[in-house]
Amino acid sequence: MIKSKLEKILLKVQKPGKYVGGELNAVIKNKDEVDVRFAFCFPDTYEIGMSHLGMKILYSLFNSKPYIWCERVFAPWIDMEEQMIKNDIPLYALESMDPVSEFDFIGFTLQYELSYTNVLNMLKLSNIPLKSSDRKELTNIVVAGGPCACNPEPIAEFVDMFFIGDGEEVDLEVIELFRECKKQGKTKDEFLYLASQIKGVYVPALYDVEYNEDGTIKAFTPNREGVPKKIEKRVMMDMDNSYYPDNFVVPNVEIVHDRAVEEIFRGCIRGCRFCQAGFLYRPVREKSVDCINEQCHTLCRNTGYDEISLSSLSSSDYSQIVPLLEKLTEWSVDENVSLSLPSLRVDGFSDDILSKIKSVRKSGLTFAPEAGTQRLRDVINKNVREDELLDTCLVAFDGGYTTVKLYFMIGLPTETMDDVKGIAELGQKVVNTFYKSENRPKGKGVKVTLSSSSFVPKPFTPFQWEPQDSIETIHSKQAHIRENLTTKKISYNYHDADTSFLEAVFARGDRKLNAVLLKACEKGMRFDGWSDCFSFEKWMEVFDECGVDPHFYANRHRSFDEILPWDHIDYSITKEFLISECRKAYENQTTPHCREKCSNCGAMKHKGGVCFEKCKSMV
Amino acid sequence: MKNVRVWFKKDDACRYISHLDLNRVMIRAIQKSRLPVWHTEGFNVHPYITFSLPISLGFRGERESMDMRILDDSLKLEVIKEELNKCLPNGLTVFDVTEPKSKPSVISSAKFKMRLSCNEISVEELYSDFQTLLNSDEILVDKKTKKGIKKIDIKEYFKDTKHYDTDYDIVVRVILPAGNTTNINPTLLINALNEKYGIDVYYDITRVDVFDSEGKSFE
Repeated sequence: MIKSKLEKILLKVQKPGKYVGGELNAVIKNKDEVDVRFAFCFPDTYEIGMSHLGMKILYSLFNSKPYIWCERVFAPWIDMEEQMIKNDIPLYALESMDPVSEFDFIGFTLQYELSYTNVLNMLKLSNIPLKSSDRKELTNIVVAGGPCACNPEPIAEFVDMFFIGDGEEVDLEVIELFRECKKQGKTKDEFLYLASQIKGVYVPALYDVEYNEDGTIKAFTPNREGVPKKIEKRVMMDMDNSYYPDNFVVPNVEIVHDRAVEEIFRGCIRGCRFCQAGFLYRPVREKSVDCINEQCHTLCRNTGYDEISLSSLSSSDYSQIVPLLEKLTEWSVDENVSLSLPSLRVDGFSDDILSKIKSVRKSGLTFAPEAGTQRLRDVINKNVREDELLDTCLVAFDGGYTTVKLYFMIGLPTETMDDVKGIAELGQKVVNTFYKSENRPKGKGVKVTLSSSSFVPKPFTPFQWEPQDSIETIHSKQAHIRENLTTKKISYNYHDADTSFLEAVFARGDRKLNAVLLKACEKGMRFDGWSDCFSFEKWMEVFDECGVDPHFYANRHRSFDEILPWDHIDYSITKEFLISECRKAYENQTTPHCREKCSNCGAMKHKGGVCFEKCKSMV
Repeated sequence: MKNVRVWFKKDDACRYISHLDLNRVMIRAIQKSRLPVWHTEGFNVHPYITFSLPISLGFRGERESMDMRILDDSLKLEVIKEELNKCLPNGLTVFDVTEPKSKPSVISSAKFKMRLSCNEISVEELYSDFQTLLNSDEILVDKKTKKGIKKIDIKEYFKDTKHYDTDYDIVVRVILPAGNTTNINPTLLINALNEKYGIDVYYDITRVDVFDSEGKSFE
């Protein structure tokens, strides 16, 4: 039914191939032969969502079970949305073309705070009640996971349950529970209560919040007996034996990351103090060289991709990186498969690695020093020294490179105008390095691009108590960088401060923001991460109408003893550790990475990964 | 090394992918099939393929073709067909693999089948509007060229159009210039129809075949 209506509108929208499914390796099942139908919704466009590894893993995992049929749903772009509304077409899943409202589970992955309005809008386009309390039956169970689920409170009223931590096991446990509950004719309430007993499941309806007069949280308590006070994250400790797809859905239209992706490890040893992922995914757990090699080969054979990306938070920190690249190139060269290694660190940039990968084409190099001075880099624990960076640039210039891109953050805690000026100065030093290079490409100039984003304090980081700089301060810092540039060889661009502000509000928000999101959705707001759609004025209007002060969340300095909205979620990182890291930051002190020295963050309780690497090598 | 011409149909979901996307899909299918196809030797090594005549996004294609070079002369053409079909998404089907008889540059026309319908008016009305349009003295449309938008008269291209109406749409068959020199896209006629009558016509277009200057099917 939807299919015939679709045919009439597809040629009126951009890239209609995104909306028709039919890709290689898409899983088609008979809906009468499965017990549970799961709509995996990515709250952004097809091109972005199809590039996301987590979705690929869970899609294949769910579909490996005969009784589950998992299908994909993406947010239609505004032109398609308009046509769908005009022609009365509800949001549908790409495999069966059935409306999302027919699914047992509607699962969202929360990658980015600015996609929250898309979550709501996708429910709206599915004609499903937005609020959990308005969905009474044991169907259309809305679940969510992903990094932003670490502070679920701003969308807690819309989602029936959140999955905390790695999803591979907990998701299946919940789906199996649902299957049982459905067979036994249990109510949604009964199902939610039973689910709350599973480790890693957070059911917001089972908790009450009380507030102090100043708006901070007074108490956060379970409202039913037997509901856990803290929700501990789930962790896959044995990466070699964790499920990994041998097949990806291969899109017919071009997507953002159009290649095979192999996850080589989870977590990061570094502990940069601004980086949420660096804390959420502790401890570091690696796959073995043989496992990675086999998975890469199978993936390339099954998809036809001729490029494979070795993915992780900091790929050059893989302990066996050179043996791995050697093993992979044994077959990849013959089969015309190229390797790419994103997230390279300045100090992990060796000739050995470079000769085997193509991540850095001759056109340009990208590094992320994050801050302009050594003092501030010590504050954020980004242990990259200026001389290392300049040495690496020198090697690159000697090797024929002429463009370098440097990423920075502005508004970091303790930042002064001198630190900001340091960004421009570092750019100048890179330019000077080019002219020191004796083998630099003759007759060519150097091009250095400085790029700054605004710091967003995130939960579960040592900076979770920090205020974000006001938009005005950010603007003056951006201007300060520009004023200090003296050559046209350096260009400077920056990420919009308005969207970072909104990101900061929702990242550390509480349940009072649910009303704000609801209002925003009513006003038709979505795709806030896209400059085509984002309107700061409209957002300020919404906050105003809801009587919510966004600065309370973004720009307020919180004290260490304040109850934070996400305190009931446990990512195994102790608050004491985060506080000590925050104090060290104020004293410009760095913390060694996990392989140098254990800093006792709490992740060791999982009894594996990097925390026990040394023990293993001693045996 | 031998040249082969791969004949395929483009339909269903693959109807909605662009020429560039089609190129990518074919390259991945070749890579997955592990067929001994000749690769370019530049910086970005990839299987070398050329399409005889690009097809517009949204059109179905019944007799599309793509050329490539096979390194193993003894490889049976039937095997190429089977292996590629195992690696292509739904909507792209190889129905034959042949040795090329002529170069793609001989292509000078293409035959289209169009099904037209419109929510706003009845089929009878649409049919009479369509006939009136074809019988007018000139049919001026905007045609996008490399130099910008140009007004051209397409009446003579559509003078041998065959058409009839069914219960719910109009079926049109037409042969139009296609290839290196002149290309007339059948949607130009639909644009003219929309503009003249202020309607929004839904079209479903199939490219049935392509011909050389003597009107013989391209092989």
